[in-house]
Amino acid sequence: MRITPPLRGRGFAAARAIAVGGAAALLATACLDGGGASSASDRVEIRWFVGMGAGSDAPTIPAQEAIVEEFNASQDEIELVLEIVDADQAPNILSTQISTGDAPDIVGPMGIRGRSTFPGAWLDLTPHIEENEYDLTDFDPALVDFYRIEEEGQIGLPFAVFPSFMYINLDLFDEAGLPYPPQEYGAPYIDAEGNEKPWDIATMTELAKQLTVDAEGNDATSPDFDAGNIVQFGFGNVFADIRAQSTLFGAGSLVDAEGNAQIPEHWAEAQQWYYDGMWTDHFIPNGPYGDSDMLNAGSWFESGNLGMGYTHLWYATCCMAGFEGTWDTAVAPAYNGETTAKLHADTFSITKDTEHPDEAFEVLTHLIGDAAEELTQTYGGMPARISLQDGYFDRVGDANFEGQDINWDVAVEGMSYVDNPSHEGGMPNFLESEAVLAEYATRFNQEEGLDIPTELASLQTDLQAVFDAAE
Amino acid sequence: MTTDAKSRNTDAALRRKRRNLLLTGCTTLGALLLAAIFLMPLGYGAATALKDKDGVSDPNASLLPVSALTFAYEGEELDVYAVPMPDGEVRELALVEPGRESSVFVDPGDAAAGTIDWEGRWRTLEPVTGLAPQWGNFEEAWSTIDFLRLMGWTLMYALTTMLFTVVSSAVVAYGFARFRFPGRGILFGLLMATILLPPAVTLVPKYAVFLQMGWVGTYLPLIVPQLFANAFNVFLLRQYFMTIPRELEEAARIDGAGPIRTFLRVIIPQALPALTAVSLFHFFYAWNDFFEPLLYLAGNRDIVPIGVGLSYFSGVYNSEPHLILAASILALALPVVIFLAAQRVFVRGIVVTGVDK
Amino acid sequence: MSNFTEAVLAARRKGGRGGRPASPMQRREARWGYAFISPWIIGFILFWAVPIGASLVFSTLDFQLTDPGATTFAGGSNWERALSDPDTWTALAATFRFTVLFLPLSLVVALGLALLLNSKHLKFTGLFRLLFFMPSMIPLVAGILIWQQVLNPQTGWVNRLIGLSGVDATGSDGIRWFDNPVLVLFAFSFIGLWGIGNSMIVNLAGLQGIPTELYEAAAIDGAGWWRRLGSITLPLLSPVMFYNLVIGSVLVLQYFVVPWVLFGASGRPGGASKFLLVHFYQEAFVFGNMGYGAALAWLIFIVVAILTGLLFGTARYWVHYGTERS
Repeated sequence: MRITPPLRGRGFAAARAIAVGGAAALLATACLDGGGASSASDRVEIRWFVGMGAGSDAPTIPAQEAIVEEFNASQDEIELVLEIVDADQAPNILSTQISTGDAPDIVGPMGIRGRSTFPGAWLDLTPHIEENEYDLTDFDPALVDFYRIEEEGQIGLPFAVFPSFMYINLDLFDEAGLPYPPQEYGAPYIDAEGNEKPWDIATMTELAKQLTVDAEGNDATSPDFDAGNIVQFGFGNVFADIRAQSTLFGAGSLVDAEGNAQIPEHWAEAQQWYYDGMWTDHFIPNGPYGDSDMLNAGSWFESGNLGMGYTHLWYATCCMAGFEGTWDTAVAPAYNGETTAKLHADTFSITKDTEHPDEAFEVLTHLIGDAAEELTQTYGGMPARISLQDGYFDRVGDANFEGQDINWDVAVEGMSYVDNPSHEGGMPNFLESEAVLAEYATRFNQEEGLDIPTELASLQTDLQAVFDAAE
Repeated sequence: MTTDAKSRNTDAALRRKRRNLLLTGCTTLGALLLAAIFLMPLGYGAATALKDKDGVSDPNASLLPVSALTFAYEGEELDVYAVPMPDGEVRELALVEPGRESSVFVDPGDAAAGTIDWEGRWRTLEPVTGLAPQWGNFEEAWSTIDFLRLMGWTLMYALTTMLFTVVSSAVVAYGFARFRFPGRGILFGLLMATILLPPAVTLVPKYAVFLQMGWVGTYLPLIVPQLFANAFNVFLLRQYFMTIPRELEEAARIDGAGPIRTFLRVIIPQALPALTAVSLFHFFYAWNDFFEPLLYLAGNRDIVPIGVGLSYFSGVYNSEPHLILAASILALALPVVIFLAAQRVFVRGIVVTGVDK
Repeated sequence: MSNFTEAVLAARRKGGRGGRPASPMQRREARWGYAFISPWIIGFILFWAVPIGASLVFSTLDFQLTDPGATTFAGGSNWERALSDPDTWTALAATFRFTVLFLPLSLVVALGLALLLNSKHLKFTGLFRLLFFMPSMIPLVAGILIWQQVLNPQTGWVNRLIGLSGVDATGSDGIRWFDNPVLVLFAFSFIGLWGIGNSMIVNLAGLQGIPTELYEAAAIDGAGWWRRLGSITLPLLSPVMFYNLVIGSVLVLQYFVVPWVLFGASGRPGGASKFLLVHFYQEAFVFGNMGYGAALAWLIFIVVAILTGLLFGTARYWVHYGTERS
């Protein structure tokens, strides 16, 4: 009679034996590796990977396909292939491709965050810019420098910028009988009685409370207000993580000059203000409200149930399709006399492992050059090319908000108040640091009764531990 | 037989019949109740699929896809509410200008009479609603992601892999279930090990292997491995084969049938319900398969299956719940038909092993 | 390991005769056996051996997915780290908590539904089978989306229905399914039970393999429903239930997609969603530490293998195969 012990005995030993052989086989094939796919035609295949930012939503796909077709028809050296991947899965797919030597040639549009997710994966464009004498004068030099990373070089070229501003639901202001916030930086807020108030966080908080209403029609300033039955919120920083939220109170960084973790004082104040706004004064959606259908599961302003939503220009094209009613822009409120309008900027980058850097550079310059007008409109970004900015908003307005009079100057002027350092800037051990922030943010959004100074102190400790591990 | 006994007999039969009827009624009713609870979320999904995007986010939204009656007034669509007037009468009026404590209405029946000022909070008013299912969502979902093409590729993928995996798994399972050979324990352990090892850990090396073969960008990495049996299916079929009495095979062997004929003539007919089950599982698994097709077909958007197609409705910042759900319900149609067709095999299963003896 | 039970049964059949089989007939049987399983062996060598071996090698490397060029040999340090990482133990605890709740629940429900659907007292069986199986056909993305909203504390149908009974279930002081470490296990269970169609069908197929004459004979003996269940249905269904048990444990120990879609790697609430595979996935694919991730995956493999081995060990006491003669 034969009785085989369970798996950890013989089965496991056998698996191990086969594994060793398998590993040897893998190494052998790796040595024989001829490299990427050789396409049947004699054109050089350049793969363009979309999903690290805008571009994987159904409505944006046809426009991108059209650009690829056009490019392929325009010349016979390069075959451009589009790879569009669901944004949730994109980092996994891209890391699998990079780690198996199957990296795409061009990745984008991609924010500064994508760069941080794959540190060291991008090609320094400097030699190609010099070799081709590529003309950079059409860009704001500060934006070009935005992509010049220490030790990695020029890892991208400016493509689109997304200034931020306040989205105002005019119908909700009318219903409450409140005048609209200012559309000029430095202008005061004039309330219903005609009093001038500085347009700052305190004034905005008051407005937001009046715009927060329960099912019985009580606003958040009323003693009868029922926080368990809110049907409309006053303010929200839409799709913003901790760093993005806090930047409303001024630019800052969680990394100090020595590379240690820090919580800037004004960010600590911001965190306290947001937390009270969610859990004590109720004018900001907390986790449960924010995840519900009532607020479009995160796309709050679009739901029509948010009075003021702070976010970037991209929101107007990505997410406003379902909005019913009228809206307009307003400037960011000041804090301690200073106004900050955080900025997102997108680029296309070439992967370091590309086998055809010259051809990839040619495609890249096409995307940020001839195709930029079409593409920026598709993705909803303001073109980084100064020559294309003229008339841009007319086109966007016509395409998305026909018949509405939206003051886009607010967006353009916001460019003078951008956050420096950027709220998306690098941190040591970036992904792990982000995970620590996300963990803090989860408690912050979901749990009532936290002591924020204590939470921030432990956040700093946790971040420091992750920063230290980077060395 | 005396009449007395006869009537007692029919009495008993009647009682049994009544008892059976009662049992049937209770069981069916219970099952109906259970199904109602079980399918409640699906009801939510269906209702959402029929709402417009605005209806999805309405905090006072009804459970059903209703929308407020509207009235076109001066170029705007106004919602109609049931407004209690000071004289006690309740009138159906359209809200022109909402205000916190007083609002302006207009009578849809008599717009020429001008607007009506009303004191009170409009939020406490009941909206006048009518059932307004948005059948257009299905149309939009259908056309946005090129539904027919997706369905075609999904069907191709699901059917070929189903055929491959069921045939190969049944053969392998029979080998494990009925033959004694040295190393069977270890080999079966190895087979089980391929289930036990988290699939994600072999993802990268597997991708590397298929890349070497030049298969990335095609359906080959998804289809070809199914020709070589799938451990889940082998295990299930082996378990099932082992319940089949050996006498049946022995009888066939005495009649001179070899292993292949025994397998085809004895085992396969006996295992029809299990084979159907395995086929169904694989079909639905492939139908909704998402990650691997996405990984291997990333560069070939024209041929992705429906699972990947659905993901284009759920961007990070912009999800369209009503469209995802409408598309999912559309995608459900074919599997439902296939399931209903497969039912007949289940029923035949009863006939084969039951009444037919 | 599998032939454990068969070996016992075979030994019993042969009156305890042991020893090596060597007769020509046994050799012929072995040859046929290899022939039948050969497709799988070929497939294993082609598609599994290399990836499995490679993942084992990975576990000894310092291998960053995003920077494969910088890979170095790390010896056993990944394994040491896997064992000393407090997250590993949190994840193990979370996984076991959920397993203890969900596994028995799902087995009982799947069996109960199969019995119901196989009942001769049920009308419209075809329709009911479809209804109970239907949720298993819904794409997972859509299924999770539905449940997320159905269980939303503010607007979800479940809390609104509970609210109808007078309990204040909505709001931040209501029943927050996704924010309580215990309640969330029930939320996971609901979502899990929704996809129970497969186990149900497996049971159903098993039930239909049971010859009806056995029940007829039992009915003549006057056996009631419970006795018939205990002495006919369950023993004859045991191989199929064994399959459900083994596959159920494997799947629940590798529970991943639902917690990942709902909570990512956050572990929210209170670490309850930080399952073993979530921990692995975060390390391997979010942080790109494939070396450390592989060590974790093999650790998970060992845990699952030990448990499955134990299950196979118990099979001889309760799994009855048709090879037995009554």
